[in-house]
Amino acid sequence: MTEIAGKLFTWINTRLPIVNTFERHLSKHPVPSKVNFWYLFGALAAVTLIIQVVTGIWLIMPYSNTEEQAFSSIEYIMRDVDYGWVIRYMHTTGASLFFAVVYLHMFRGLLYGSYQKPKELVWIFGCTIYLAMMAEGFLGYVLPYGQMSYWGAQVIISLFGAIPYIGESLELWVRGDYYISGITVSRFFALHVVALPLVLIALVFLHLVALHEVGAGNPEGVDIEEHLDEDGVPLDSVPFFPYKVLNALVAIGVFMTVFSIIMFFFPEGGGYFIEMANFQEANPLVTPDHIAPVWYYAPFYTMLRAIPDPLGGLIVMASAVAIFFIVPWLDRSKVASIRYKGIYSKIAITMFGVSFLTLGYLGTVGVTEVRKTMSVICTIIYFAYFLLMPIYTKYEITKEVPERL
Amino acid sequence: MISMANRFQIILKGVVLFILLFYFNEMYAAEGGPCKDYGECDKFQYSLNDIESLQRGASTYINYCYGCHSLKFSRWGRVAKDLQIPEDIFFENLVFDKSIKPGDLMVGAMPEDSADWFGVEPPDLTLVSRYKGDDWIYSYLRAYYEDSSKQYGVNNLVYPGTAMPNVLMSLQGNQRLVCKDVPVLARNGGEKRDDFGNTVFKEKCGFLEVQDGTGILTNEEFDTLIYDLTNFLVYVGEPSKATRERIGWYVVFYFLIFTALSSLLYREYHKDYNK
Repeated sequence: MTEIAGKLFTWINTRLPIVNTFERHLSKHPVPSKVNFWYLFGALAAVTLIIQVVTGIWLIMPYSNTEEQAFSSIEYIMRDVDYGWVIRYMHTTGASLFFAVVYLHMFRGLLYGSYQKPKELVWIFGCTIYLAMMAEGFLGYVLPYGQMSYWGAQVIISLFGAIPYIGESLELWVRGDYYISGITVSRFFALHVVALPLVLIALVFLHLVALHEVGAGNPEGVDIEEHLDEDGVPLDSVPFFPYKVLNALVAIGVFMTVFSIIMFFFPEGGGYFIEMANFQEANPLVTPDHIAPVWYYAPFYTMLRAIPDPLGGLIVMASAVAIFFIVPWLDRSKVASIRYKGIYSKIAITMFGVSFLTLGYLGTVGVTEVRKTMSVICTIIYFAYFLLMPIYTKYEITKEVPERL
Repeated sequence: MISMANRFQIILKGVVLFILLFYFNEMYAAEGGPCKDYGECDKFQYSLNDIESLQRGASTYINYCYGCHSLKFSRWGRVAKDLQIPEDIFFENLVFDKSIKPGDLMVGAMPEDSADWFGVEPPDLTLVSRYKGDDWIYSYLRAYYEDSSKQYGVNNLVYPGTAMPNVLMSLQGNQRLVCKDVPVLARNGGEKRDDFGNTVFKEKCGFLEVQDGTGILTNEEFDTLIYDLTNFLVYVGEPSKATRERIGWYVVFYFLIFTALSSLLYREYHKDYNK
């Protein structure tokens, strides 16, 4: 029996590189031996992606993408489908935690210079994933066709209208109708469940292939390739499997504990994960008291609101995301990690973090005069972090990076 | 002498502090609450395992509310099952239309032209506890008061100008807005007293008070009735809520064990190279 299995395995392996791939990307793939918790969010993002795909497939089965039934089919899932509520809450909680994990993953990149040469492409693929996620999240939020789905879509689609010359036709083209309707819902459904997931998975694949080519970083910013043993394996490395896999497993345990606490006890996340107004069916005649985006878009929404001119707001908001793409060329520092960068970099990243969180908070509350001023100040700090980076990283005093991890 | 870099550092720290302070200040900036003229909504703590409360709430709902407000995402048989009411008793006592089957949705009993009766169509209430919140419902149903300027002679502190008459008035009695002499608070938080040691009173208005002998129920009994009704609406808003919170403990417990075991395994493997 084992002989036959062995033969079958050899037969397949000579035709498909199973052993090679396993060794190259897992059991012999060297990763830095000393990293901290910041380096676990990538694995967690992969876990959330899988959760979203699997729960998504099961949600498609009972969901109905028509104007008349979209909202009631969600309630059908919540009430009449066996454990439908588990699947739906996993998907809503997963969406929010996907963004949370990705934001932390991106912040890790900024902290430890994970975009520096030769990791530029890894970073750019990552930024593209984030962009695709934002689109995916928005499209998905429209599908339950509640009040926030409708009015949120109204706000976002009308952004296209701010583009000169082609704006109005573009808006109409995106919506597929003169106002948001079942036509909009069904095309958003197609994009949400087929087009963007394909794009996302392809990008994640590229992100990982590029990463495995250049090797993972570490919080010291040490290049582990400089010191190799006689077999050409970095001295300060461990094989990905089983060491890092086990490390990730612990992280997954902690993450899933948090995940299930939210999902089973606070699925609406206090109105931040599922907004209360979205339990009311979409009504084109009634505007909700205040239209707030879900928390993960809030910082960018605040920037949009901070600028009085719609086109200006759109440009600022788009630039806020686009600017991430050029970070590898903005950072002129000799060192990668914040540990060895100078005081200016440390202050800059702290202020960036605080302003990002403040922008996020401001996006979820109503506008007052003070808050308007604050949004402008925080938007300026946000951009200053990036635009001044070539200056403060070049002229600050950095510390000596050690040879080994 | 402070160096240039240090001075820069101090200024930047100041800016960060400034933003942080603003942040916390703004966090608690007052916004008009959801309960409007009522002030803070009364806190409501649901108890979905109190089946008797849910049964009383369902009965109140079907007798007083269902005539106008449908529960169109909920099914009759599911309510009977979840509330542990035997189907024959449930259908005999709570379902008035005998053609209804257990699998039917609770689509309401209102004719098409009902919007003409109140100016607006009475909304479906299946999800009211989810978009308005249980605190709001609990406060709203107890905040009606006499106001002869309105169509139905009543108004509501939580929802000024509400289109709904006070359906439960026969139970509650006639509630009115009254003025009362209340003790003035001193700066130390106690009652303010004059030079002779007598408490100082001041007239304040806007208190809700039920006229004695106008209602069938006492104030406490009426509050309980509204509690049960709100509890039922919380249940109907999410029938799986009690199950969710029960299963949740097991799942969290499972992942805690999972984390513990995987970290033991991780430690075991890391002995290899952490020598």
